[in-house]
Amino acid sequence: MSALPEYKTRVLLDNEKVPLVEGVFVAAGAELPDPLPEPPVYLKAQIPGATSRAAQGLVRRCDSKEQLESGLKQLLAPGSWGQAEGVLVANSVNMKGEYYAACMLDFGNADELPHGVLLFSTEGGSGVEERAASLHKIPFSLLNLPSADDLIAKLGKVAGAQAIGKFLEGFIKTYARYKLIVLEANPIGVLEDGSLLVVDCRAEFEKQAVGKKDTELFAAAPVTKEDKTHLERLVDKVNEADPAGTGFIRENREPAPEGAWRVATNLCGGGGKMLWEMTTGARKDIYTMNESDTSGGLSAFKSYRVLRAILEMEDSQVLLLTGSGMGFQNQHYVAAAVWKAIRESPTPLPALLRFGGTDEDKGRELIEKVAPSLPVPVKTYMPHVFPNAMVDDVAAMATKQRIKVTPEPQPTGEPSFRVDVPPGDFFFFADKWDKDEAPPCVGACPNNFLFWNAEQRTVEPVEGARCIGCLMCEVVSLLEGNGELRIRLDLPEVD
Amino acid sequence: MKNGILKHLVGIEEPKALVVGMTGKQGQTSSKLMMKMGTNVLAGCTPGKGGQEVLDKPIYNSAKEAVAANPELNCAVMYVPAAAVKRAAMEAMDAGLKFAVLTADGVATHDEAVLKEYAKAKGCTYLGPNTVGMLDTSGYLFGMIGGSATWARKNYLPGCVGVISRSGGLSQLLGAFHCRPNLPGPQEDGSFGPLWGEQYPGVSAVLCTGGDPMPGVTMIDAALAFQKDERTKVIVAYGETGTTQENDLAAAVKSGQITKPIIVFLGGMFTKAGVAQSHAGAMIRNEEETYTYKRKVMEEVGITVVERPDAVFAQTAKVLGM
Repeated sequence: MSALPEYKTRVLLDNEKVPLVEGVFVAAGAELPDPLPEPPVYLKAQIPGATSRAAQGLVRRCDSKEQLESGLKQLLAPGSWGQAEGVLVANSVNMKGEYYAACMLDFGNADELPHGVLLFSTEGGSGVEERAASLHKIPFSLLNLPSADDLIAKLGKVAGAQAIGKFLEGFIKTYARYKLIVLEANPIGVLEDGSLLVVDCRAEFEKQAVGKKDTELFAAAPVTKEDKTHLERLVDKVNEADPAGTGFIRENREPAPEGAWRVATNLCGGGGKMLWEMTTGARKDIYTMNESDTSGGLSAFKSYRVLRAILEMEDSQVLLLTGSGMGFQNQHYVAAAVWKAIRESPTPLPALLRFGGTDEDKGRELIEKVAPSLPVPVKTYMPHVFPNAMVDDVAAMATKQRIKVTPEPQPTGEPSFRVDVPPGDFFFFADKWDKDEAPPCVGACPNNFLFWNAEQRTVEPVEGARCIGCLMCEVVSLLEGNGELRIRLDLPEVD
Repeated sequence: MKNGILKHLVGIEEPKALVVGMTGKQGQTSSKLMMKMGTNVLAGCTPGKGGQEVLDKPIYNSAKEAVAANPELNCAVMYVPAAAVKRAAMEAMDAGLKFAVLTADGVATHDEAVLKEYAKAKGCTYLGPNTVGMLDTSGYLFGMIGGSATWARKNYLPGCVGVISRSGGLSQLLGAFHCRPNLPGPQEDGSFGPLWGEQYPGVSAVLCTGGDPMPGVTMIDAALAFQKDERTKVIVAYGETGTTQENDLAAAVKSGQITKPIIVFLGGMFTKAGVAQSHAGAMIRNEEETYTYKRKVMEEVGITVVERPDAVFAQTAKVLGM
């Protein structure tokens, strides 16, 4: 869920012709408007998700130009509240009353369909939470939005019902048009003539609900470097270059309890995460280094890169990986990524590996076959052994001291050919294949992407065919051939 | 096939499917799998691609066109981007299709709320969004369960367990493991050994209700279908925090609507309220959506709740007297 600051929420309301108090937004770092609005005005620092702004001094009344200029200067500069996106300079209005309105979702249950809920009170303003009894709670359909007349009928006897009904109709339209999670206006000013206008407002939204044309309006505040770790940004870059499927990590910001085993995890999907949480949630002797999710049909190239990031986490003592059951997440391919990541990482970790799902047996067989050649111990599990049992092996497998090795070198120089998505550089070493027939890597490709050019004695991509980034060609080349085909998977540069 | 779970879920005895988005990569891959698993796919549709053929099936520009040319169509599976799901699903419902599987992840919550209301008005049912689909061992599959036909045929075998899950991975796991001879698991005496012999319980159907907060087919809808399904002797489910689905299931047991034994692997013992989860639907918004509350109401009505996945299989064996 993301929060939209007041000045942007005003744009949404304005697009549905909901009346607003007049105001000018001054962005941080931008030129001040000339002339400045005439006092009396209110200065309101614009910080997404901020509440109780008045109490923090982020809303100030200015009765003179001097107050306005100095207030703007202070609120536009970084302060204890961080850096505001800017300041809304809003006109002061004479109100004879203050109302409150909010829209939210009711997710429904077995007896009730999901629907929107309008909360409305004629006793708005600060401290509205304490006057919950005064709230009208009006459910409404998101499929057929209520008209002003519908709302008037539901409100019952309220003074100024016509104006309220029309106002709320636009308010609900705004909520539905932008698929907001929450839209709140508090206060809604009641003017002498009985008309209403929004004095303050805020919204919460789902990123996935933002339409293409509204992307800029809903753009969240830029993520600062401090918000994400180096490895998290690395994985972000991996996703940019190879968007298919989920590749996610988030490092644990909490300090590890003294003496706890520090487990780096590579889990699969929401179910995989839940299995690990159920296993370790109450255990003080296990510290999970990171959240992770590799699922949704990602390539083995991406699995490899995410794993490389996971293996880089300082202070980790052991890697725990569980596969899932997704068919297009072939576990043989995942195993290929694990093998490659462990042998090419300068900081490999002892690993507890449970493959689960399509070709889980092949995945396990591959790892068991190559295990003696790896620089760290690995232990595989049958798919019916879940994290609740795997965790018992953490202490025995964890390394006491971080292992640092000189990893298997990746090929250098210009590749024989390159695949853009998923990104990988393919190297065919003709000097390692002196037979006339095609090397085994060609037949290993499940997508018939590789072709043996017998005349040129080289392996080439087939025009129109697609590489799915499964690593099977390299696996077979190393195990059944002479290492004639290798794939270089560079990790992205991160500032 | 006539006695598949769709008969009890939506009254469809012989599913005849339209694949929406069949021309796309995922649509084609999944269509191949579905057809290999016996699903009767009659046609596909993709806006602007009408007139083409994919996997020897005609492609139409819309569900309406497809139904006009193939009036026997009665259900759809959709491989369309999240932002297009609402429109595509409503179009399929308008075309008269009574059941749809919405696979996409990331559908806006508002769109899900609108779809629920629209589907009810149209008398339609849908599975998802954010689901790997469903598999019925009488001979059809919608979605991606099993991955490859070879794997799916090997791992999902006819039997008496009805599987419901809010997680894609766990729906496949709970289904497949009930079909493995000599599956080892935790025994009552604390040892770990075969829960059953060569004769495994098998599955009637696997229904992944999806990880979103407003699924079309809920756990209780699925459980009511399994209650009517003669093949199903025990219902096994993966539930978690968020939504009231498990509580609704408990209420249905209490009221006598569901009498078959139910085993639930409930996740989320350590999930904190208000924190976004990998499954959007798992976020706790109030007390009734917590692990503790759900566990209590389910156990009160006799539903077996377990904390680890392998305990599910042990309980199945116990219930079936294996």
